[in-house]
Amino acid sequence: MKTYLTKLVFILLAGTAMLLLPLHASAQPAPKQKIAVVVSTLNNPWFVVLGETAKARAIELGYEATIFDSQNDTAKEAANFENIIAGGYKAILFNPTDANGSVANVLKAKAAGIPVFCIDREINSTNAATCQMLSDSYSGCVKLGQFFVKTVGREGEYAELLGIVGDNNTWNRSKGFHSVVDRYPGLKMVAQQSAEFDRAKSLEVMESILQAHPNIKAVFCGNDAMAMGAYQALATAGKADQIKVFGFDGADDVVKLIGEGKIAATGMQFPKTMARQSAEFADEYIKGKHDFPQKVPVPVELVTKDNVSKYGDYGKK
Amino acid sequence: MRVLRWLIAAAIATGICWLFPPFHIVSLKTATAQKAAVTFNPAAFADTFWDKKLLLALPNAINAQTLLAAIQADPAAAKTNYSHSIGIGGSYCYFLSGTGLVTAVSDDEVSLALIPGSTNTEISLQASLIFGNALRDGTGLLNVNDYPDSQDFNAISEALNHLVETRVLPKLREQAKVGSKLSFSGCAEIDDESTDLKPLKVVPIQAEAK
Repeated sequence: MKTYLTKLVFILLAGTAMLLLPLHASAQPAPKQKIAVVVSTLNNPWFVVLGETAKARAIELGYEATIFDSQNDTAKEAANFENIIAGGYKAILFNPTDANGSVANVLKAKAAGIPVFCIDREINSTNAATCQMLSDSYSGCVKLGQFFVKTVGREGEYAELLGIVGDNNTWNRSKGFHSVVDRYPGLKMVAQQSAEFDRAKSLEVMESILQAHPNIKAVFCGNDAMAMGAYQALATAGKADQIKVFGFDGADDVVKLIGEGKIAATGMQFPKTMARQSAEFADEYIKGKHDFPQKVPVPVELVTKDNVSKYGDYGKK
Repeated sequence: MRVLRWLIAAAIATGICWLFPPFHIVSLKTATAQKAAVTFNPAAFADTFWDKKLLLALPNAINAQTLLAAIQADPAAAKTNYSHSIGIGGSYCYFLSGTGLVTAVSDDEVSLALIPGSTNTEISLQASLIFGNALRDGTGLLNVNDYPDSQDFNAISEALNHLVETRVLPKLREQAKVGSKLSFSGCAEIDDESTDLKPLKVVPIQAEAK
């Protein structure tokens, strides 16, 4: 009897242990795979939205996601990539700092077997990144240029604030705008200066342009942060009603000012669409799909007072 | 003896450099010519594309009346069935052809009514400066991924638009008279369906009085 009871207790204990083992295993799930989100700068709300949306979508898809800020510095970007490669990340969602300077970083990640999905900004290589999801800045600024001529007229002086000179977007935007405006010889660009996509710099640059060229009728800014800085300078100088400001990005504060009639227009890029899609592409890559188009253009839409009610929250309502 | 060793070493080094020159000296003129040879020439590309591909593709354009009826019935289905677009996003293009009655002529456009008996403008042929990507993206013949530099791809739009202005518009302006019939082929870019579908703003590739 005693032997029988001992055997019964042993069987019960063994059975309980077998039941508990899988429970113990499920209590400690395998660590999540990691996706890195590298953003050119977090000193601009538009890029914060881009980075945060990419991170949020990666988390939704079941990954651990971390944002790295390159602070518009290719050296910092390179250090971020070193850390990411050493850190065992499975994919990089990448908003480059410099079209040429960022190529080496992407190639390093590629050599380490980590796919890189560029968002918004282009790198000057078609065999480094797995895919580049690019805002069609040129075409967006063609539309802005057409609206500029319609609003400002075919004659008058204007100024242009450029972004970072090493960034392809700076020139795609400027060239798109000029492909239209330069067809009207009566429109004279009297100043063209870089404010590096930065609101504070734009404020300073606009103040000096106003002193040198008080008769300008409009200013075209390569992004909305610069449009906000330019508007601030104009408001301080009491010229906000006389000089029209055109931006590019579709930032919420500029969309709001378009609604109030204070800024003339912007080009709505779709940072959330691009960020989500790139996270989804990374997920597909990790799950085995390796065939992606090198470039996926994302059209830009013109936002003016007439259609501003359709836009907000960095996209279409 | 030491001098001889140096002379032999120098001779070997010279021989190696002669066999495997570490650099080449090229005249500035040659270098410029070589660079120009590899630089994308959008005007030449557009010229060839126009003659060898675009004109040959005109029979593939959707009949304008069919397209207008499809848009009238269901814009989303018409977009799915007949449009071309690149990338992701809201804008898209139609490649269409048809014949219509000229209802108005201005500096910027030639208005056409296509439905028999109608005087409503269903098509607006763009007749002034041409901007945008309607021709580049409208036919589906060009793929952004064939152009490593996106600025080259953008330059194609400018070059094609220039060809419209120089090859098509002079004849269009000459032939478009209110009350006359005009056949056309072209592409329309739709950014905002609330404004761009009625009328369809068509960048003409061909336009001829009937």
